[in-house]
Amino acid sequence: MVIELPARPRKAGRRKYKPPADPRFRIFISDSGWNAVARRVLRHNSALIRRLHKEELIYLLSRKKSVEFIGRHRSLIGRDPIIAVHDLQAMGGRGTARCHGFHLHLGILRTPRQALVALQTFAHFVGAYRHSANLEADIRTGLHRDGYAGRRRDPSS
Amino acid sequence: MLDRFGEAISVVLGALALAYLVYEIDRRKRRLRDLFHVLGSEEADISGELLSMVESGELQPYSREARA
Repeated sequence: MVIELPARPRKAGRRKYKPPADPRFRIFISDSGWNAVARRVLRHNSALIRRLHKEELIYLLSRKKSVEFIGRHRSLIGRDPIIAVHDLQAMGGRGTARCHGFHLHLGILRTPRQALVALQTFAHFVGAYRHSANLEADIRTGLHRDGYAGRRRDPSS
Repeated sequence: MLDRFGEAISVVLGALALAYLVYEIDRRKRRLRDLFHVLGSEEADISGELLSMVESGELQPYSREARA
């Protein structure tokens, strides 16, 4: 005898997705899956990124789309998982002609610890600098640890 | 004679240690710049393709509701 289980009823009160009102960044996650270590760290700690979705727009590329995308941009081969951050403020003003965000190339890291630290640093940076007036200078001082030299090198500061 | 030789060795070793320090700092900085890569005009085509995927509706923003 086969008993057919009733389909799980959808909750009537489920809220519809509302995009963030004033996003500063668009975040794209692309992973072809070649680096198993970085892939695992990203999957197990995806909450770090998901937490940002209330304020920023997040897009996940499927594995197939990632392979196609990376194949078309050969400079990205061997660097994924890649988290691309587009600065909407910079792109609105001058498009992609100058600094308009940054990439986190998790795929160049070899150990889980390195990948986790990079992911944590990334998540903290995006949360902390969403109101940055000069993102390029903040990337150089906050992520590259260039200190004062990073600010001097930035032509817009 | 031996004193001068000892001094010369110390200077050479000091210079080597300093050169290694400079090299190591530079290597770590280059690695950080590669890890957190700033997007400029050279990556315009990469960013442009992602942007067009969003504009064409090929990519939809992540939402907890959509995943549930």
